[in-house]
Order: sequence, then C-alpha cells, then structure tokens
Amino acid sequence: MKKKIYLFISFFLLFAAGIRAQHLSDTIVLGGVVITDTLLKRTPFVTTQVSKEIMQSVSTRDVGDYLRSIPNVSGIRKGGGAIDPVIRGFKFSQLNVVMDGGMKIENGCPNRMDPVAAHVEVEELSQINLVKGPFLLNYGPALGGVINLQTEDPHPYAKFEIHGNAMFGYETNWDGAKEYFSLYGGNSKVYFRASGGYRKYGDYSSGKTDGETTTYNTSFTKYNYGAKAGWAISPKQNVLLSYSESHGRDVMFPALTMDEKSDDTRMMSLDYSARNISEVIKTLDVKVYRTNVNHLMDNSNRITWSAKQMVADVNAINTGGKAILGMKIKNQNLSAGIDFENIYKDGVRTMTMLMMGTTSTTRFNLWNKALIRNAGLFAGYTTSFNSFKFDAAIRVDFNKADSEDTLVLIKDGVEYFNETASQFVNLSANLGLTRKITEKLSVSLAFARGTRSPNMLERYIKRLTIGYDNYDYLGNPQLKPETNYEVDLTLTYSDKKLGTMYVNGFYSYVKDYISAVMLPSSVIMPATLGVLGVKQFVNVDNATFTGFELGYTSPQAYKLGVNVIAALTYGQIPSETKHIFIAGQVVPGDIVIKNDALPEIPPFETTLSVNYRLLHGKLIPRVSYRLVAAQHHVSDAFDEPETPGFSIMNFSVAYKLSKNININAGVNNIFDVSYYEHLNRKIIGSPENKKLYEPGRVLFVNLNLSI
Amino acid sequence: MKYALFVSILLGTLLFLDISCNNDTPDDGKPTGHISLSFIHLVDGLPLEKDIMKYVNAAGNPYEINQIMYFISDVTLHKADGTTKLISDWTDIHYVDIDIPSTLTWDVYDDIDTGVYDSISFVFGITKEKNQSFRFVNPPEVNMMWPDILGGGYHYMMINGSWKNNENVIMSYAFHMGIGQLYKSNVIEVDSIYAFVQNYFSVKLPNSAITVEENKTCNIEIVMNIDSWFISPHSYDHNFWGGAIMQNQPAMQMAKENGFDVFTVGKIE
Repeated sequence: MKKKIYLFISFFLLFAAGIRAQHLSDTIVLGGVVITDTLLKRTPFVTTQVSKEIMQSVSTRDVGDYLRSIPNVSGIRKGGGAIDPVIRGFKFSQLNVVMDGGMKIENGCPNRMDPVAAHVEVEELSQINLVKGPFLLNYGPALGGVINLQTEDPHPYAKFEIHGNAMFGYETNWDGAKEYFSLYGGNSKVYFRASGGYRKYGDYSSGKTDGETTTYNTSFTKYNYGAKAGWAISPKQNVLLSYSESHGRDVMFPALTMDEKSDDTRMMSLDYSARNISEVIKTLDVKVYRTNVNHLMDNSNRITWSAKQMVADVNAINTGGKAILGMKIKNQNLSAGIDFENIYKDGVRTMTMLMMGTTSTTRFNLWNKALIRNAGLFAGYTTSFNSFKFDAAIRVDFNKADSEDTLVLIKDGVEYFNETASQFVNLSANLGLTRKITEKLSVSLAFARGTRSPNMLERYIKRLTIGYDNYDYLGNPQLKPETNYEVDLTLTYSDKKLGTMYVNGFYSYVKDYISAVMLPSSVIMPATLGVLGVKQFVNVDNATFTGFELGYTSPQAYKLGVNVIAALTYGQIPSETKHIFIAGQVVPGDIVIKNDALPEIPPFETTLSVNYRLLHGKLIPRVSYRLVAAQHHVSDAFDEPETPGFSIMNFSVAYKLSKNININAGVNNIFDVSYYEHLNRKIIGSPENKKLYEPGRVLFVNLNLSI
Repeated sequence: MKYALFVSILLGTLLFLDISCNNDTPDDGKPTGHISLSFIHLVDGLPLEKDIMKYVNAAGNPYEINQIMYFISDVTLHKADGTTKLISDWTDIHYVDIDIPSTLTWDVYDDIDTGVYDSISFVFGITKEKNQSFRFVNPPEVNMMWPDILGGGYHYMMINGSWKNNENVIMSYAFHMGIGQLYKSNVIEVDSIYAFVQNYFSVKLPNSAITVEENKTCNIEIVMNIDSWFISPHSYDHNFWGGAIMQNQPAMQMAKENGFDVFTVGKIE
C-alpha cells in the first residue's frame, strides 16, 4: 500500500510541476467560500463559521475532533477518531448534522462508531457552519443545533484551467500519516473536481503526568475518494452532480464492546441552482441525494471472542431532497421550501457461543427493515427597521415510522414493545430580535421551539450497548417527539481597535425529553456480555439546559492576535428513579433522585490563544492554553463518575513558504498531560471502568501544496 | 413597528405555552411488604460439607458433593381464597450457586400485599417458554447453558461430585438436569433424537404459610435436602446410571420424580 502511495505522490508531483509550468502566471483560485477566521454573524442566535485555513492549521484527524475547539461544543470519544459532537449538552439526533446544505447520512452503527461527521474528511471541507439551538430550520428538524459540513465545490472558470492540491501530514505518538489530493478545473460551461485521501493511524498513548502512560488500541485506516461535475446551463443556472465514497477498515473502539471491521459509505447528490430569477425571486436551490452506509463490526479483537463471538452487520440508506426559494421584497428577505427524507435501516447481530464443547449460534435483528419518512415545510423571514433586525422561521414536519419487527414484549398489560408504527406532526418556530444599541454594541433576544421525532435507535434498536452506560438498550416504537423551548440572549460588542466580544446566555426547557429506564429482567434479559441489564428509551417529563458562552477576538489589523473563549452548560432533570443493585441483584427500595444532573454534560472550560504575525503574515506562531474545570455535577441515575479538571498547552507554527506551499507544524499537549474529557467513554473491560484518556504529547506537521 | 414587536413577543410567549404540568399517577395505596428467600443446603438433615466423601446414598454409594447450581422460577404465593401472587415484577428466575454467597439470598423486589399466604410454590428449573438459548449471556447463569443439540436453553440443575464405585474407584458424576431427549435407538447419538422432554417440575412447599406485614420483610428459608434426590420413590444408584446423565432421559426422569420432596421450608421470620 505504501509503495502505491509513494508512486502516486511521485506521479502527482511530476504532474503538478508540469501544470505549474503551464500556468505560472495564473491566479490561484482555491474554489469555494474562503473565510479567514472564526467569526460571528450578526444573528440573534450564536452561529460559528470555520474556514478551511483554520482547519488546516491544526492536527485534526477527524471533523468531530476539530469541532471540540468551538465554545460549548464537546465530543464523545470512544476510540481514535469518529468523535461524536455535543453542542450545549445536546447530542446525537438532537443535533442536525448535514452535508452540503442538506444531504443527510443515517449512521450505520448503533454504537455511533460512524456519526455523520465521521463520513467526511476534514480535507474535503471548505467550511463548517454551526448554529446553536433550534434556530436554523431549513436543513431539517433541529432541536439542539445544526452543523453543516460544506465540502469543496468546483466552479466555472472564464477559460479552461486545471489546478491541484496535495496535503501530507504526520503525527507522532500514534504514528499517524495522512495524504490527500485533489484536482479541479474546467471552463465557463463545464467544471469538475476529483479528490481522494488516505489516512492510517496506530495506537495512541496517554500522557505521562499520572505516572505510566497507557497505550490504547485506537488504530484505524480510512480512505475516501469522490468527484463532482458541474454544468453552467446559463450564467444564472448551474447543475452539480456529486459522488463520493468513504471507507473505514479496522477502526478500533476500546470504549465499545465491538470494533469496526469495515464501513463503506456511498454518497451521491444532484444540485440545481438558479440566481436572480426575477425581481422578487432571487434564488432557487434544489437538491436530491442518496447516501448508503454498510457497517460491519465485531469483537474479534477482544478476549471475549474465544467464548462469545458477536458480529453486527447494518445497512442504512437515506434518500431525500429539498427545494428552497429565496425572495427579496425591498428590505425583507423571505425563504420558503420543502424537504423530504426517507431513512431505511436493517441490521442483524449474529452471536456464537462456544461452551461445553458445542457451538450455538443465533441471529437477532438490530433493526428489521425499519423506515422513517419525514417531510417538512419551512419558511424564513428577515427584515430590519430602525435599529432593529427581525428574524423569524417556521417549520412543520410530518413524520411517519414503521418497522417489520416481530418482537412483542407485553407483561401485565404493559406494552413495552409491540405496535411499531407511529406518526407525528411537529411544529418548530423561532423569533429573534436584534437591537443595535450603538454602532458597536448590539443585543439580541431569540425564542425558539424545536421539535424532533425519535430516531431509528430510540424507536427500534434491540438489545445493544450503545454506550450511555453499562446496559443494553431497547428501542421504544411509541416514543413521542421531544421539544426544546429555548431562549437566547446575546450581547455583542465590536470595535475596529478593540476587537469583537460576545456574551451569550441560554436556557432550554426540553419537554418529553428522551431518556431511558431499566426494564425488569422478567420482561427482557440483556444480550451483551458484561452488562447490568436492559434499559428502554422513554419520554420523561422534562429536562433543562442552562449556560453561557463568551468569546473575544482581537482585531486582525494587529500583529498580535488574541482569542479567548469560555463556556458552561448545566443540565438537570427534575426526577429520576434509580434501582439499587446488591451483588448484581436488584433489591427492593428504588431511589427517586430529585434534580439529578443530565449525563454527558461537559464542564466549564476556557481557552486562551495567542498568535503573532511575522514576515507580513507569512509566519504565524500560535500558542493556546486550555483550562477545563472538574465536572462534579454528574448523573446519579446513570452512575456517571466525576471527572477531574485539567489544563493543556498547544503550540503551532503556520508558515507560508510560497503561494503554493504552506506548512503547519506544532506540538499538542506540550507537557504530556494525562487527562480525559468528561465525555470520553469508559474502557470496556478495564478493572475500574477507567475512562479512555486523550492522547499525550503529539508532534505534527502538515504540508499543503497547491497549484 | 411597535406592532411588529408586540406580535413577536406575543408569538414567543405562545410558543412557550405548550409547557404542561406533571401528571403523577397515584399508586393504589394498598399496604405492602416484602419477602426474602434464603437457600439452605442440607444432607441427611445437616448442613452440606462439600468436597468430603462422607455421605452414602440410599443405593449405598459413598459420595461427595463439589458444586451445586440450579434455577428456581415462577415463585408463587397462594392465599386461602385461591388468589395468587406471582413473583415477577423484576425477575422471575433465580439462580442459586453454593459457591456464590450472593445467590443464596434473594431479596424479592416485588411489593406484596399484606396478609396471610397459605403456601409457596415454585418451578424447579425453567419452564419451556422461558428456557430459551441465549436468554442468559453473562456468568454465572450463562455457564448453565444446555447444548442446542440436546434441547437448548439452560441446565435446571448441576450437582457435581464423585462417588466410590463397587471397585472402590472414585468416579466423577455430573447429576445434571435439563431438557431430556428421546432417541430412536439404543445408541445415544444426537442424530437419532426424535423428541425432547421438559423435565422441569412444580414444587409446592409444605408448611410454607407466611404472613406479610406492612413495610416489613418476611424471611423464608428454602431448604434443599440434597440426599432426597437419591432416595424416594426411586433409589438412585450412581453405579447403574454412571457419571453423566444429560443424554439419559430415564435417569433424569427418576431424578425428576425424586424431586417432589427435595425442597422444604426452614425458618420463617
């Protein structure tokens, strides 16, 4: 494989040299939208945009890993990569993660080895847009936030041009190497982009400050490739056809009961866009897509394999589309659209037990031809008057689900799992008002109601540890949608000389919050080795999330750049019931816990980054110091352990050698600190249920070439 | 413009009006208590001393016991008026292992209506509908697995030990009960199995009347008189049946028939 890579690199460099000779005087166009820094849009809610340059400047091996650097965005780590984003304590389907403005991927793995962000590589992205709260409704139902992962799009050129990019990166500690290549160009009518990447990482070791380092089985291999072809029908109309594949092989997850043997994801889409259609209708964007994930996982790398073999094979298909019309009447902007999503999921777990010299094999379905259909109508409106800016959006979703499950669980008249069909009509809406108090100071107040229907896992999963705690989980086909009522208050101050500062406070009241309760063993027994029992998803009355974020960015005009962020979320549930275990048995006397913490809520943290622009901005050293408080507010009902605080320091240098060559190098976790994030999962099989630590010191270098 | 602001605030308020109050379901208010079952193992009326060849059964076999593991299920409390309380609110199958002290006590989760209960019954082993392979995947219960080719599910009981045969040679026995098989011929081969036999049986404990008082726990000792497995109505001879009986339905049938008086009640407090 390495030989092939070297040959490919050599070929690419030779090819690139040739192209460069031909187009020496050409203007370099990177394509897509380029934003030069993390910035705040003037919206009544908090939105963050991340540019390609920012992503390139750090040793990011995973989109989810990068997202953790945004205030109040955390991630759940279960292995070397595929970190699952958490925004203000909202996670999984409470977040709407889409690609390219509307393409959705149904993750194949019930353990979320493959969240949406794991199906796209950082190098493919031109931009990440992140909106906190249920405020952005034109990408689908949103409860806790929206993340749009925008990949690089090709664009027309006045005359035929062809360009290329190459990236090579290496990280110590886990001997991680990554390569990425892209070729793009075209003329005024037809344009294209083709790209591919490969990354192979070994096992990483934790830091040394706790004594000895621990090496975790976190290796993974991933590769991806794809192409996009565009046709400019007219100067106002474009069509773009995209196809890409992403593959994972032997991706290890020490904090899960199984590892990913293979993951094969195929994504295809067709986009049509028209601009300036009439005086009123300014834009029309239509997208249709299909994504397909084949996910295979097993425990063949675990000691349990010798006695009990588990293999899970899941196929997930998401087919959908959207159309959105943008209109402008004087200073009023209107948008309206429809979208549709059809999710199909089918999966089987095969269990083989080797005991008493005999072998017993059985097959459980994890999902049995489960189907969720969601159709949405949405509209948005913005206008400004005097010193006010007004935003409003509304969305109605028609959600229908069913499955061919034959499982029936009824005991004493209580139906735990029986009728699989359900349908809902969900209303989401938001209003926001921004008042410009002075030229520099503005205040925003936004209200929102966001409703989302239960997902495939919550509705139909059958007896699998999905990682919240040491239990198998059972879906609940009769779950109700959960609704987030949120209010955000944001104060923004922006001064050319002093920089930009914002403070945001938010409060979320989630009605019919989807949690889980333990089921009696007389109803259902677990199917996974080592778990305590079976929990089923249920709606609990409510949960609340409260918190704040603040950020400061110094003006770009100065050589010295300073960036400060801080964030805190406090999640609480009014009442939870906890069963008492003694020697593995549930005994009489349940405990009702009042005002329990919600599980997996990150603690307070703050980061200070300082950079200095040398050589007219060609050389930028950057140092960052991240301080994370201990998390003592933990869920008693979920037996969540407390997490100690920690601080780490990173250093990097970005050097623009020429207009064609960029080098980013640095060291993360300079002092080799042993630490783990509160959201990192526990190591399966560890004697004290120890959590998976973060990597210790990592030296990295990324070389970016463009022609 | 003020109107727009007013409408905004009004709509925002309306969005939040959907928040509803709790609807707590009151319980039925009946007074309840609890029971706790302790498992005692006796041989010839005395506490079991394992790993010592000090016992002699009715057939005259000197024997010792090394391990005992078994399931009881569907424990039921019977009232004089014919009503019953099935223990199943949390678990309906209990595993007992003399080497795992925590299994020797079962603090029953169920809330039990106060009052006098005439008797207690249970199923020795696991009923057909519940005795399905892969029901248990975790130790220790998983170690009771009964091979699928012999009927599947789990052993009802394992008593492992050794006996001294007629030649004074110490032999191991595995007095195991589970789903039996009927073979087409005298040759015991799995290919010739034509039917399976459920060997679980119901036990009604004699003298097991109890009184459950409000907010109190009634402790009941359930005694397994191990020697009774080998006494009546059949004298069980290890020399005749040999060491392993998993594929010997007549032997398991004999054990099943002997099981009627194996369990008694000890102290009730």
